[in-house]
Amino acid sequence: MRRRFRLRANALIGGTLIGVLALVGVTASLWTPFDPLRINLRARLRPPSDLYWLGTDEFGRDVVSRLMAGAGTSALVALLTVMSAVVLGVFIGVVAGFVRGWLDRALMAVNDTLLAFPGILLALGLMAVMGPNKWGIILALGLAYAPSVVRVVRATVLSVREREYIEASRVIGNSEIYTMMRHVLPNCTAPIVVLATSMFGWVVLAESALSFLGLGVPPPAPTWGNMLAAARPYLDQAPWLSIAPGLCIALTMLGINLLGDALRDRLDPRMAAA
Amino acid sequence: MLRYIIRRLLMTVPTALLVAIAVFVLLRLVPGDPAQLMLGDTATEETLAELRRQLGLDQPIPLQFLYWLGNVLRGDLGRSITNDLPVLPLIVDRFRVSATIVVAAVVLASIIAVPAGMLAAWRQNSPGDLVIVAGATLMLSIPSFWLGLLMLLLFGVKLGWLPVVGYVSFAEDPGRALAYIVLPIATLTLIEIGVVTRMARAATIEVLRLEYITHARAKGVPEGRVLWRHALPNAFAPTWTVIGLILGNLLGGIAVVETVFTLPGLGRLLVDGIFARDYPVVQGCLLFTAIMYVLVNLLVDLLYPVFDPRVTAE
Amino acid sequence: MRRAALASLALLLGAAMPAVAQSPATLRAAINADIRTNDPGVNRDGNTDAVMMHVLEGLVGLTEDGDVGPLLAERVAVSEDGRSYTFTLREGIRFHNGAELTSADVAWTWRRFLDPATKWRCQSEFGGKGLTRIEAVETPDPRTVVFRIEKPTALFLSVMARPDCGGSGILHRDSVGPDGKWKGPIATGPFRFGEWKRGEFVELERFAGYRPLPGARDGYIGGKRAEVERVRFVVVPDPSAMKAALLSGSLDVVTDVAVDDIAELKRRGDIAIDLAPTMGVNAILMQTRDPVLQDVRVRRAVAHAIDAAELTTAITQGTARPNPSIVPVPSSYHGAAHDRRIAADPALARKLLAEAGYRGQPVKILANKRYGSMYDAAVLAQAMLQQVGMAAEIEVLEWATQLDRYLKGDYQMMSFSYSARLDPALNYEMMSGPKATQPRKIWDNPDALKLLDEAMVVADRKRRGAIFDRLHEMFLADVPMLVLYNGVDIAASGKRVKGYKGWAAGQPRFWGVTLQ
Repeated sequence: MRRRFRLRANALIGGTLIGVLALVGVTASLWTPFDPLRINLRARLRPPSDLYWLGTDEFGRDVVSRLMAGAGTSALVALLTVMSAVVLGVFIGVVAGFVRGWLDRALMAVNDTLLAFPGILLALGLMAVMGPNKWGIILALGLAYAPSVVRVVRATVLSVREREYIEASRVIGNSEIYTMMRHVLPNCTAPIVVLATSMFGWVVLAESALSFLGLGVPPPAPTWGNMLAAARPYLDQAPWLSIAPGLCIALTMLGINLLGDALRDRLDPRMAAA
Repeated sequence: MLRYIIRRLLMTVPTALLVAIAVFVLLRLVPGDPAQLMLGDTATEETLAELRRQLGLDQPIPLQFLYWLGNVLRGDLGRSITNDLPVLPLIVDRFRVSATIVVAAVVLASIIAVPAGMLAAWRQNSPGDLVIVAGATLMLSIPSFWLGLLMLLLFGVKLGWLPVVGYVSFAEDPGRALAYIVLPIATLTLIEIGVVTRMARAATIEVLRLEYITHARAKGVPEGRVLWRHALPNAFAPTWTVIGLILGNLLGGIAVVETVFTLPGLGRLLVDGIFARDYPVVQGCLLFTAIMYVLVNLLVDLLYPVFDPRVTAE
Repeated sequence: MRRAALASLALLLGAAMPAVAQSPATLRAAINADIRTNDPGVNRDGNTDAVMMHVLEGLVGLTEDGDVGPLLAERVAVSEDGRSYTFTLREGIRFHNGAELTSADVAWTWRRFLDPATKWRCQSEFGGKGLTRIEAVETPDPRTVVFRIEKPTALFLSVMARPDCGGSGILHRDSVGPDGKWKGPIATGPFRFGEWKRGEFVELERFAGYRPLPGARDGYIGGKRAEVERVRFVVVPDPSAMKAALLSGSLDVVTDVAVDDIAELKRRGDIAIDLAPTMGVNAILMQTRDPVLQDVRVRRAVAHAIDAAELTTAITQGTARPNPSIVPVPSSYHGAAHDRRIAADPALARKLLAEAGYRGQPVKILANKRYGSMYDAAVLAQAMLQQVGMAAEIEVLEWATQLDRYLKGDYQMMSFSYSARLDPALNYEMMSGPKATQPRKIWDNPDALKLLDEAMVVADRKRRGAIFDRLHEMFLADVPMLVLYNGVDIAASGKRVKGYKGWAAGQPRFWGVTLQ
């Protein structure tokens, strides 16, 4: 009884938080109270008021508007990163698990290398090569997180490939690719969804951490990460500047984690009874 | 056993080599060169060329790589471009700082989180469980640098209890050393508590469902004993893997916390090296981190059977 | 061990603990990165110079307004043809090891500097590639040194005094080992080099045998009385942490305070703020070879569109005044002629753009986040350019990348700042030259270059002044860049500190500073 209640509560709170994020992210450009890039030097570092609900930053830009625009960028970066990590990871994982042999060993060697490779340098290098924009960071973080997907997918593929129905599919003359798509991949869905959900949270965090170190999505386009980084000198003087984006990141993470728990409980058969 | 260890150690060689090549190529692809950064806006063509020659940067890149690799195989990671110090002692020195903090934080987090997670699992779906899970999820959701900054502001500036910048090594003055690293450790600990609690809880729930626990309970073994003797050892094993992973990841990702608290650690060395295009330092740091990561995971795997008698390392 | 346990207990209980032992004799200042070496002018950056100029002294040094005055030399005599400089050394100067300074030490030091193997960064200036070539350093008697140079130059002494050359500091020969390897500086400054813990701090100790020149504090030369026993430069890479450390008393002086912190620090009442205009130049560069910006009307439109006064006030919170000239405000050559500017006039800017046939082609301004003022300038310039209908965009790069693009001339517009040059001729030289051979140069005007060559050689102040005035006029006509303002060094010191004062060179000085 309690368990079901908690599941519902998790899904509800998490879903609401992420739903609001998605909604704001998609529609932000339509209804921000101010232009998020518009500077106003006469209204620098204003504390929260009727006009500026969460105050203004060091260029007199409205914090609410920037948070809304930042939600879009942060969510987009996270979403695309997770998608690219999943696509890449599934592809490599399935190939490695299904083909096996030397290709598998080579792929896993590269995979383990990437796992041992700090994302910071990957991000910096790729952003420098691709030009400083969100695509660089998406590619970099996508590459950094793909190896975890590869591991999960490969493990799942290895565990199901010898099952009878796979064998049966082969015996009745279905092609390898068809078998893979039709019978093997669906088995990976649950773990991937669970992993992707937590990954979404990691990317939001990673993007803000990279921005904090000066390696993230470059300003003036707002992301929560670079807003936090820019707010640091004013921590004492204008605390709303750091509290607001920090809180946004934390709430998003909370939503993701709750939603992830609910999804895990539903999808991951091992955890179903928990 | 020994053969297993040797095989695992040998497996680090291709990983390390791949890391080395990847780092080398990536670094050379990044625009900006150390000579320019050192000379800044006062650089002239002649002084730039001269400095590049001194640093060996005028050689073809494959040659630079082979030269570097040859030195690495002899145990020489080269000298830092920015301050001309040998890289290996520099890394070891900085690593000591990072390792102190990471290990302390992971140990503290485990001491708090493993019992908490087990407790939550044992009283699954009770209000207590709810509180613990909510707390863990909350901590998991807070960005570490944000938490670090807020703590710095509160304890360092507003209350003035702890020093805000600097670092004193334990060898020098243990009391003062503690004052400097207590905040970074606390920050990391709070963040990691979230992860470990959740893992410990999930693992324990799984173990508690197993038959032998039901048996033990049916035989009337006291609940405390069930938990302590039967559940803990088995639930701790998967948690241990997660702790190992955290340890490895933290070493790579500690730069942020070191930046907030201005600690002379490995992460900071790496980030500064990247900004200064200090090739030998960046290459050395990454190679070192990659090898550490592999070793930590090896250690975790070797210790796994200690916690989970059902599994042998091989 | 027991003490450690007790200390940890106290911490766990949340008991108040003194932040850091406050020694009455040690002044703690911050640098944002460790120094590179203590070998003068060899491998250095701004922080290295800041620390080392407390230890080193050359024959001449900088005065308060950036001119040159005698330091270890009592006087300097220049021959009629400008090819020989005779330095007479002050009497009774001692090295940090107690040895007395003689002309032989000067000759030894300079031989080492001029040897390419030393890798002295200013070797090329004096070795024939740059400024001139030193043909001989002669020592007719223990107190006299004669430098013979190949071709006369107005800048011989200025370059000698450059902090990035280590002030051409004179060293005792025991600074290097018998094998010629660098050991550490044994010099003549008011502080000697003390403990250096890499990545953590550098400590300087008061040199009891130092004999300051009489009079008030004057640049790097006069009134250098060390009042504190030790100066510890603590490495603090993070500006917020630096500020927090100042507030909590873990640091005594912070020399690069952000403008935005001034108001807050002043409000506290126990922090003293010191403002000092410097010779650094902040500017918006325009690539005159860019398809859009090659039209001088477009560049002039940019200059009319950007209200440098408003921009300067916004970035520096009114601490700096706008300066349209490449000749810095503190310079003795900055006369009224250099205040002439292109007035802010958005309407005229629009008109010029229309005349030039500008049709909304995008113009990218490069900037970075490492130096906040460059980024701020770019953001404000973008807004002002958009106001007159230019499609201005900002591209934020990492500093190393931006510097690379600067040196290659690969940009449309760029928010940039130049480190301090000590002579207006050097200021003009840093940005003008033929782009075909030196792509980093901004201003490619043969007539201006001819004038500049003259200013490099001529020694007469009045004639030089006239040349610089004329150059500024030509500079305004060509608008290859928009000079905004000269940086202001903002230093904050805690209540223990008395007497800290910044100056034009933009480097800290911890002599004449006392602790209570």
